[in-house]
Amino acid sequence: MIRGVIVMNDRGKPRLVKFYEFQPAEKQQELIRSIYRVLCSRAENVSNFVKVDSLFGQDVRLVYKTFATLYFVFIFDSSENELAMLDLMQVFVETLDKVFSNVCELDVVFNFNKVHTILEEFILGGQVLETNSSEVVKTVEEILKMERAANSIKVVPSIPGWQGR
Amino acid sequence: MSSQGGFGQSKEFLDLIKSIGEARSKAEEDRIVLREIDTLKARLSSPNITKFKLKEYLMRLIYVEMLGHDASFGYIHAVKMTHDESLLLKRTGYLAVTLFLNEDHDLIILIVNTIQKDLRSDNYLVVCAALNAVCRLINEETIPAVLPQVVELLGHQKEAVRKKAVMALHRFYQRAPGSVSHLISNFRKRLCDNDPGVMAATLCPLFDLITIDVNSYKDLVVSFVNILKQVAERRLPKSYDYHQMPAPFIQIKLLKILSLLGNGDKKSSEQMYTILGDIMRKCDSASNIGNAVLYESICCVCSIHPNPKLLESAADTISKFLKGDSHNLKYLGIDALGLLIRISPEIAEQHQLAVIDCLEDPDDTLKRKTFDLLYKMTKSSNVEVIVDRMIDYMISINDHHYKTEIASRCVELAEQFAPSNQWFIQTMNKVFEHAGDLVNTKVAHNLMRLIAEGFGEDDNTADSQLRSSAVESYLRIIGEPKLPSTFLQVICWVLGEYGTADGKYSASYITGKLCDAAEAHSTDDTVKAYAVTALMKIYSFEIAAGRKVDMLPECQSLVEELLASHSTDLQQRAYELQAIICLDARAVENIMPMDANCEDIEIDKNLSFLDAYVQESLEKGAQPYIPEDERSGLSTSSNFRSQDHESSTHALRFEAYELPKSSVPPKVPSVLSSSVELVPVHEPSYVADFPQPATSALTVSNSGSSELKLRLDGVQKKWGRPTFSSTTPSTSSSDTFESNNGTTRHESISSTKSKVHDVSYDSRKQQPEISSEKQKLAASLFGGASKSDRKQSYSGQKVSKTNSHGADKSDLIKAASSSDTAAVIPTSQPPPDLLDLGEPTVTSSAPSVDPFKQLEGLLDPTQDTTKLSSSGVSVPNAPDIMSLYADMSLSGQSTTVANPPPNAIETHLAKQPSKGPNVQEFLEKDALVRQVGVTPSGQNPNLFKDLLG
Repeated sequence: MIRGVIVMNDRGKPRLVKFYEFQPAEKQQELIRSIYRVLCSRAENVSNFVKVDSLFGQDVRLVYKTFATLYFVFIFDSSENELAMLDLMQVFVETLDKVFSNVCELDVVFNFNKVHTILEEFILGGQVLETNSSEVVKTVEEILKMERAANSIKVVPSIPGWQGR
Repeated sequence: MSSQGGFGQSKEFLDLIKSIGEARSKAEEDRIVLREIDTLKARLSSPNITKFKLKEYLMRLIYVEMLGHDASFGYIHAVKMTHDESLLLKRTGYLAVTLFLNEDHDLIILIVNTIQKDLRSDNYLVVCAALNAVCRLINEETIPAVLPQVVELLGHQKEAVRKKAVMALHRFYQRAPGSVSHLISNFRKRLCDNDPGVMAATLCPLFDLITIDVNSYKDLVVSFVNILKQVAERRLPKSYDYHQMPAPFIQIKLLKILSLLGNGDKKSSEQMYTILGDIMRKCDSASNIGNAVLYESICCVCSIHPNPKLLESAADTISKFLKGDSHNLKYLGIDALGLLIRISPEIAEQHQLAVIDCLEDPDDTLKRKTFDLLYKMTKSSNVEVIVDRMIDYMISINDHHYKTEIASRCVELAEQFAPSNQWFIQTMNKVFEHAGDLVNTKVAHNLMRLIAEGFGEDDNTADSQLRSSAVESYLRIIGEPKLPSTFLQVICWVLGEYGTADGKYSASYITGKLCDAAEAHSTDDTVKAYAVTALMKIYSFEIAAGRKVDMLPECQSLVEELLASHSTDLQQRAYELQAIICLDARAVENIMPMDANCEDIEIDKNLSFLDAYVQESLEKGAQPYIPEDERSGLSTSSNFRSQDHESSTHALRFEAYELPKSSVPPKVPSVLSSSVELVPVHEPSYVADFPQPATSALTVSNSGSSELKLRLDGVQKKWGRPTFSSTTPSTSSSDTFESNNGTTRHESISSTKSKVHDVSYDSRKQQPEISSEKQKLAASLFGGASKSDRKQSYSGQKVSKTNSHGADKSDLIKAASSSDTAAVIPTSQPPPDLLDLGEPTVTSSAPSVDPFKQLEGLLDPTQDTTKLSSSGVSVPNAPDIMSLYADMSLSGQSTTVANPPPNAIETHLAKQPSKGPNVQEFLEKDALVRQVGVTPSGQNPNLFKDLLG
């Protein structure tokens, strides 16, 4: 089972936090800080895996990868395969890239609801739901279309961030 | 674009993020966020607020909470928003609620109704949003409220909904297995879903279910193998391909399931051999995901009933992993090696140098994984090297959690495989010194027991040698500052018991040291107690030996201090010490017999020595004792099995006393009782807690009973529980036993000599530039393989001989390092209690049923139906999965022509510059950002760099 997904920037600021078992806010902060400390201490060109059983309990590890300024972190237990998680992360980021076209940190910051939507299509309740990037893009685009349709009825002016996507 | 900022968010929100991004300290950030919270509080409570403003405030709330601040004042607005009709608002509401609330929150009750309504919605996206919320928010109590609808949705026409419904049901199962146990067959049904996505999602719950109960799912082996075969043959839609691999994630999940189903089941395993072989052959080892599948196949091969051919290809793959440059692959290689050596231990041999490289790698994760591997392959021949390495590493790290783990592993290995007592004590000293507070106190007691009992042989000189060396090392260590409490307890106990035993050190020297220790740790009562008891022992040994006792002045003051101690335990010990010192030699000898801590204590349960006294009392007119169950009037009134000291005429009773918990409770005669049968009185627990004599009144009668806690029966030779390699009656362990006793007999085993030779020769040829140091290490870890290694390992032996502590150890090293004889054997000897390796070679090379035929038979639709229905799956006509997928793949292809296929990300990026709109869009975005005022600062220069760039 996947315990959590965290996206944070290289200064330890969380950009997206999703735990699949409820964690109170303070505990979340503590975990994020500890994970950030661990990640900072990692040298370059080492493996993408870290054992974090001191934070999450027996046999829990995390996979992380840096994309430009962001750390993507998946935390999971022994029922998942490390390398596959790394690739799932890649699929996730590729999907973000497709949805946002050239995704950058600011996209993730300002549209974290959209990022959550995408993540929900991949992982539900800690289980991998879908691994197919194009399927997810299709679904997410449909959701966005629906939302836009609902939006345009109202008097709110057009939202540039969503245009042309 | 005017009032709105970029990214669909308001200027305010952009400003907030900008200012937080530029905050120079945590305090500054907190100030900004608190201000934001105040703003939000004010805004949310204002009466006329548009829904879309509200939505934005909610997003800001989520953001604030993500930064670690309490946003609970806004939860109710999130709950309200889920009631909204608009999909956008509803989804935002659900998102906020799932992030804010846990499933036991009071507000959940307000959402359940909405969820119920949304699950019935015509719009499948609304249903999906509700299902997302269901997975997060429904607890055991609310499951029944939504369960019927979720079950209904399992048959929804949209695959996205079915998929999520499966997951929701799985989540219910995790939360409260009882509530959905009657619905578990639905998972089996969904396995045959037309949509591969739904099928793949179903694998998650099935994996969990199979983990819990393998046997109920054995009938699905055929189906899983079948699906895996179809996936591997690329019968799924092209869109499931990832890096040219057919649906690798599904393959991995299936392999995981198969490894559970095939574990220890020969019949099921045989059905998997063909497809596993195919997958391992076809897998693309150049891509990340290909290696993930390969790794999972290895795990599966190692878990199921062994097949020599598959094991061989697993070994090949592992060596590829280990030889690769990627740390990730090395990590997986080491992990897989750990799995494989359980089945074929000789494989470690070929990879010794790679393993050592990993051990010295700067990557901590890899290092730890390698220690895991070493831990698994430790045996008597290499325990010294491995434990030494572990201790070095343990000293070098700061992570408490891992330090504890590695310390307890060191202890475990040392207990199991220690070649000699001296080595064991030295190792324990090191562990205690550096991680004493982290190890279990049981370990300390084991150590004391070992020193007290030695090897349990009749060899008394060896035992006393051991004790002397322990005493010597402890006297050296005791003065050091910051020793862990547990370790000091051991030291005090050993010094008290054996400090003066060999006559090397005077009593005053040792008592001086003990007093220093007690003073230096004046806050630690346990240490002080141990020290005082040790003093008492030393003095009584002195008295018993007829020497005059001069108490050192610091001793005197220590005792005086303790006489007035707040701890009654310390007080008692001090009083006892005082009392004993005044006694004559004979009495003291009885109280404190020399080296009596291992003696069995005989307890006179009938207390027959009191018979005369009882008789006397009876004659004087006392009432005879009546056992409790024979007393008529009282038996009903007392629920406790109370300990009546009194005969029934007296009203006074002592029901508050608990029954003694220890299995052999020390018994104290109760003076007033008037029969032969006496009731045990619970001893004050502290007496039993410390290895020291109880009150002097007791000791006269039970003089030997002092060391209750340390009496451990049946402990001989080895201390820990045995593992598979030590229990085995193989040549390797018998060899080490021999060397333990001081006789080396390595010539007796050399059967696999020549074979091992060749292997190591090969590996040497491939890597000629390996440093001699590494080879030495390899030789000692893996039992030195080749002739050329031999010389070096001999020199290694010399080095270690100089600092070896006894004949035992050097003998063992000789055994280990005179390479191609003794030490090689352990690696090449398969542990007998694993599955027999000889058998599968015969059966699998000529299986009774051709697995291919079976599979083909299964693919036939009619047969498929019968198979499935007979296996209890309630599908009226099971669809032919294969043909359905074939159809799907056709349609999938046609769609992929319309939308460009999911490219590998590199090519996607490479194309970017040529695509006009993309660049333009990017520039627009950039301009927008600048306009908004969030510019890349010095602190964050890469802010605008594409994530994938």
